Amino acid sequence: MKSMSRIVYHLARLALALVFIYAGAVKTQDVVTFAGHVAAYQILPYAMNYLVASTLPYVEFLAGILLLLNARVRPALMVIGGMTLVFMVALTSVLLRDLGIDCGCFDPGGGENVTAGAALLRDVGLMGLVVLTWWLRTAGHAGCGTRNEKSQNGPES
Amino acid sequence: MNDLKRIGLEACVLIAFSALIGLTLNYQLVLDAFSGQLSAPQCQAELEENALISLPLPAMIGDVQQAIAFGGLIVDARSPELYTMGHIDGAVSLPMVEIDAVLPEFLEKIVRDRAIITYCSGFGCPDSFDLGVRLLEAGYLDVRVFEGGYPEWRDAGLPVTGESR
Repeated sequence: MKSMSRIVYHLARLALALVFIYAGAVKTQDVVTFAGHVAAYQILPYAMNYLVASTLPYVEFLAGILLLLNARVRPALMVIGGMTLVFMVALTSVLLRDLGIDCGCFDPGGGENVTAGAALLRDVGLMGLVVLTWWLRTAGHAGCGTRNEKSQNGPES
Repeated sequence: MNDLKRIGLEACVLIAFSALIGLTLNYQLVLDAFSGQLSAPQCQAELEENALISLPLPAMIGDVQQAIAFGGLIVDARSPELYTMGHIDGAVSLPMVEIDAVLPEFLEKIVRDRAIITYCSGFGCPDSFDLGVRLLEAGYLDVRVFEGGYPEWRDAGLPVTGESR
């Protein structure tokens, strides 16, 4: 049972890592187009759209890298969980305002055309993975990466 | 609890570090955006789609407010006299009656992907539509016409500037 939990933990961690590394990497290639997607949400003043588009992909990318490396897992999960929560609120507001925009979650220039509803469902799934990974990590099912359970002040989280 | 605090702190450091990298790599873009030198961002697909349309699309009063909020340009197509008497707050004057004289300077100053909404004296006035067509022909990608014009804006109690408001 313990080894099964460990496998599930690593699969969930790697899935999240790949999703966020990909999401971050493709957006850094075309920041201006991504700013257009952020602006389509009609939430931020126009200059802030560029600020968010210039920084958010790097947060996604680095958080994903940490998950991939199995280092600082819980801080990375906290960041990813927080971002996913913000995305969910934004997508819900898009649905309530009936804006009918593309979510812009991944490749900004690729004509992805994922509706807000579908993106919200995907984010619910991602949030589920975040919670699962956090719980398995905290419960000590992460196998060799549980140094923090042995030492409260250890470097690993 | 202390553990959670430490995780939260590390998460903040991660966000700050990532944001710093992003800002370092894109500082010129962010600088331009905050100094107002960039137009409101738009999807490339949206720009291309609009460019295929040779006639300006209509804009409602809410679209004008939104364009102002997102860095769009509001253009007054009426005569300079009417513009001086009163115009939408923040609008620039590009009188259709003097279009050949004033357009070259406008083309020099305003980037082609900036969102533009033209208006004139309301539904009976053709100048805003004609100006919209001229701007699309000049290569602007996102041009719309606020058909209600100055009267609708003023009567809605929205901000106006001028000698006789």
